[in-house]
Amino acid sequence: MTTWESIQEFLSEPSTWSGPDSIWARLGEHIWVSVAAVIIAGLLVLPPAVWLGHIRRGSGIATAVVNVGRAVPSFGILAIAFLVLVQMGAGVGEPWAVLVALIALAAPPMFTNTVAGIQAVEAATVESARGMGLTEREVLTGVELPLSMRLMMEGLRIAFVQVIATATLGALVAWGGLGRYIVDGFARQDMGRLIVGAVLVGLLAIAAELGLSALQRATTPRGTRPAR
Amino acid sequence: MRKPFRARAVGAILGLALVATACGSGDGAEGGSPPEGDPIRVASFNFNESVIVAEIYAQGLEANGYTVERQLNLGNREVVKPALEAGEIDLVPEYTGSVGGFLEVEQSADPDTMWESARAAFEELGVTLLAFSPAQDKNAYVVTGETAEEFGLTTVSDLQPVAGELIFGGPPECPERPLCLQGLQEVYGLEFAEFVPLDAGGPITVAALEGGEIDVGLLFTTSGVIAANSWVSLEDDMGLNPAENIVPAIRTEVVDVYGDDLVTLLDSYSEALTTEVLTEMNARADLDQEDPALIAEEWLTDNGFIE
Repeated sequence: MTTWESIQEFLSEPSTWSGPDSIWARLGEHIWVSVAAVIIAGLLVLPPAVWLGHIRRGSGIATAVVNVGRAVPSFGILAIAFLVLVQMGAGVGEPWAVLVALIALAAPPMFTNTVAGIQAVEAATVESARGMGLTEREVLTGVELPLSMRLMMEGLRIAFVQVIATATLGALVAWGGLGRYIVDGFARQDMGRLIVGAVLVGLLAIAAELGLSALQRATTPRGTRPAR
Repeated sequence: MRKPFRARAVGAILGLALVATACGSGDGAEGGSPPEGDPIRVASFNFNESVIVAEIYAQGLEANGYTVERQLNLGNREVVKPALEAGEIDLVPEYTGSVGGFLEVEQSADPDTMWESARAAFEELGVTLLAFSPAQDKNAYVVTGETAEEFGLTTVSDLQPVAGELIFGGPPECPERPLCLQGLQEVYGLEFAEFVPLDAGGPITVAALEGGEIDVGLLFTTSGVIAANSWVSLEDDMGLNPAENIVPAIRTEVVDVYGDDLVTLLDSYSEALTTEVLTEMNARADLDQEDPALIAEEWLTDNGFIE
């Protein structure tokens, strides 16, 4: 069977389009876990990152966090989280281990970009805001956050695209998501299933990239947009 | 019981890497001189028993002056068999019935018949099946003690009236495997409510059975966990499973290079290996998390193969 026939066969199976192993179900699982991971990571790291940025400290921490974040393998975290959580009573096939690994993946770029973004606001600008009598809260919400929005959104975009690509690993510890097609396709030497899965993950990552780029442009104040 | 997970995962990644390089040129091993020829590349499947037996081969060969490269935990048969045929690996512990299924030969519960048909088919692909061991390891369809009691299960046939309510868990390749879901459907007419892709009789399947996420799990008859948990391995009463004797599968080219000495050595290990000892070694690796390499070394020492 050629690769093309194999793809056509996979796409013509009824289970590809309805039921728990359908593209819709897998896409849904993949998206909700990715979105949840990014939201939880944001709730965890944005408050300390905004505070560190505001007091203009911790740029060393920010660099260290992103470097450590790059060095730690998501798959290692996933495997450890799976074993620990199952021992604690989590069910096989539940998304918790995947969530832990993806939160750990999403946190560093969001943290670093927020700290760096706020600190990149010119000190003179912040000082003149204070000189005009703005309170610290107003300095943060009215000056620092809007001016750093472009970099913060950049961090979100990087995190989200990485999370979507990495959520595929979940299938290796019996979770679902689009990675299911890749892992199952590989185990069964079913090229059609494997390729469709890989392409869908790629398309989803591109869609996320485009969507968040648009959001990034929309949320960036006009004056801080890079010149075209 | 939980430790092998990472090793297995690494194996899966190695398997991917191997597939990616499988088009590379095989190195010609013609005309090498005994113990000083090319290294013998010993591989195993992605579960402990296979790693233990491969370690027995590898350490035994090393003790006799052969140079060995290990590619353990390489992957499932879908990965390992093509690698063997392509000359990417040289030696792997196989199972007569399972490899026979892949070679599409007639299945038989008689060890001699099963071995002979698999041997003949594999020979055409440049792979030699040496003499088989009395040790066998078949696929086991396992339920917990409570499930067995609740539905009155002792044999696989007993599943027929209730399969529609039960969830089956096994390796991702199970739906396409004649000795897994395919065979259960064709021979026993079983249609489970759902299939959950897990791993090859490893920690994930065990955890899923323990946690009740699946009702019936695919493990191996030599799994130490079955007895340890008082689980029930359902009797294959309609004979789906063929004989599954462990047998060294080795590239014919390598046999030709190294000759009778190599064959005699591997034969001696196969002869000494038994199902009981294999089950016990599996339990030590799966439950007590002992290192498969050390378990293999101990077996070789106990049987007087190495000092």
